[in-house]
Amino acid sequence: MIKTTNLTKKYGDFIALKNLNLEIKQGEIFCLLGANGAGKSTTINLLLNFIAPTSGQAFINDTDVVKNAKKTKSFLTYIPENLMLYPTLSAVENLDYFLGIGGGKFYKPELEAFLEEAGLQKEAHHKRIQFFSKGMRQKVGIALAIAKDAKVLLLDEPTSGLDPKSSNEFGELLKKMRKNNVAILMATHDIFRAKEIGTHIGIMKQGELKHSFATDQISLQDLEKLYLETMNLNEV
Amino acid sequence: MIFQIIKKEVQEILRDGRFKISFFIVLFLLVASVFITSKQYSSINEQYDSAEKNERTVWESQGAKNPHSAAHFGNYVFKPKLPLSLLDQGVDKYTGISIFLEAHNRNQAQYSTATDQTALSRFGELTPDFILFFIIPLIIILVGYNSFTKEIEGRTFYIIKSQGVDGWKLVIGKWIAALIPTLIITTLLFLIAGIILSNIKGFGVFSWSSFGILYLIYLIYYFIFTNVILLISSISKKSGIALVSSLTFWVLACFIAPKIASNIADSKYPYPTQQEFSENIAKEKSEGLDGHNPWNQKSKELEEKVLKEHNVNSVNDLPFNYSAYRMQKSEEYQAEIYAKHYKKLKNQFKKQSSIYKTLAVISPFLPARFLSMSIANTDYQSHINFSDAAEDYRIKTQAFLNGNTEKNSKIGERYVASADTWKDLPRFEYTPASLSEKLNENTSNFVILFLWFSVTGGLLFLTNKNY
Repeated sequence: MIKTTNLTKKYGDFIALKNLNLEIKQGEIFCLLGANGAGKSTTINLLLNFIAPTSGQAFINDTDVVKNAKKTKSFLTYIPENLMLYPTLSAVENLDYFLGIGGGKFYKPELEAFLEEAGLQKEAHHKRIQFFSKGMRQKVGIALAIAKDAKVLLLDEPTSGLDPKSSNEFGELLKKMRKNNVAILMATHDIFRAKEIGTHIGIMKQGELKHSFATDQISLQDLEKLYLETMNLNEV
Repeated sequence: MIFQIIKKEVQEILRDGRFKISFFIVLFLLVASVFITSKQYSSINEQYDSAEKNERTVWESQGAKNPHSAAHFGNYVFKPKLPLSLLDQGVDKYTGISIFLEAHNRNQAQYSTATDQTALSRFGELTPDFILFFIIPLIIILVGYNSFTKEIEGRTFYIIKSQGVDGWKLVIGKWIAALIPTLIITTLLFLIAGIILSNIKGFGVFSWSSFGILYLIYLIYYFIFTNVILLISSISKKSGIALVSSLTFWVLACFIAPKIASNIADSKYPYPTQQEFSENIAKEKSEGLDGHNPWNQKSKELEEKVLKEHNVNSVNDLPFNYSAYRMQKSEEYQAEIYAKHYKKLKNQFKKQSSIYKTLAVISPFLPARFLSMSIANTDYQSHINFSDAAEDYRIKTQAFLNGNTEKNSKIGERYVASADTWKDLPRFEYTPASLSEKLNENTSNFVILFLWFSVTGGLLFLTNKNY
């Protein structure tokens, strides 16, 4: 569902991403771990075609993200670290707008059903977003993915700053999405959450994918150790 | 998709308290300006009607007298206040409203509204054209300055991009949404004005087609402003910068550019001073035929020529009153002098106009303003047309009066025309230029306005093609 072949991004002499080869199938959650500047967000931005690759290719649902940018975007939903919506509009209005600009047309009860499925309480559906917590906003993002019937979910540190309860709720939502055969790529710093919800984990450093493995092949302790070793922080 | 964008933008606009307050202030100003101007319009037209009737009565009630005395008695013609001046008063305030017509002299229009007002009037008046040209663009700025920057500042930009939105659809959606308040205000103003004007009878012909063209001109002006404001917003990184840049454009386009154009035109093609103009005419008049002076060199030449033509030895043998004939020839000669000097003025005006037309490329305000004044018949060209019509009427009046003496009396005789004579003088009628003539005169302004629209629109689309 998500595939990259030798995907590289350079800014002058600086290599932000180097020969990334990645494949995430339907029903998989791939958690990308790494320090700031490791290349996690660059990978997501390349998959979104927000930036153009220097070399290599990226595919979403077998469609080249550069050559067919608009088509690939119809398959995916993107939730950044801090999903910002229109503060003066309600959750339903925001959802209606973002689905609308993607070409979707839904009636109000359908929009409410999507928000409910994403775990947003009914009483919040028609409240202005300016009164929402970050966790509530992320749920609107998930509702967007549900409504779009997205095949791919790209998440850039979505649980950062969330309280444990909200973070757990968000993890449960991702597991639900996975059961619906959605391919999920999540960039995160949260090793615990990656181990808990991911089916696969990748560790990145300085633009390179250093390790990639299935989550069930490694314990949380070993994962933490490997991560620290990779980051050259094992002495800490 | 476009509808969704418009809907969301309008929802945001409607929930913005700043906009609500501004919208209602402008709406209030607008209704007040139309109300005040329509009152003035009705009052001026009543005065015009009354003055015209009185003037004719005075003319017709002169009683039995010599026609040349009647020529010196003179009469006034009044400039009608035309219906579309309700929307754009143009230069009407500064040009005179009546011309005194008399023998031997071409007088200029006098009694301009501005001369009757206090110094405070220099700060401008609350008129519909002030709101249409200066205030409504501010509404466009208020609505549109952060149209794109708010997406970057609010980080919604990334979600929009991830939805695969077409840049041009986003631009059209935002463009239409930014125009909706302006369209409501402008349409409301034109509706009120249309109802008022179509119901006022007896003061000039109200033309719906001119009215429609005027509406179209303002819409194009607002389209251009919307293009520019959204373009600024789309290339600015912050809303604050976009707001300052937009206001700078407003000041440059609406205030600085007209001053620059006016200063360049005046310095390149200056008008003579009133003193120079009058002295030049007086000098030429003194060198030519004087109807009152039979011993003048030119009078002698004319006499010799006429006697020769009619093969007689004395003016007493001529079959008409030679004295009236000489007076008419003198009038014709003086009219030619006036025509020559006024032609120079008109040529200077044409040269200045051509500078204005060329400089209209620096601001959309200039071509829009020229078009608006022209369609409303309140531009300087319309005043010249009125002034020329008055001069034609003066020449015809003198010909009528001198002709009457020439036919009905003999030289040396003290001729007194009957009291009914004055009724035979046709009334002064002034028909303003037609809409098609106005459109032909302003082709270049239309072209420049469309160029502004196309270029700014093109840039807006190109800038946001890959949103």
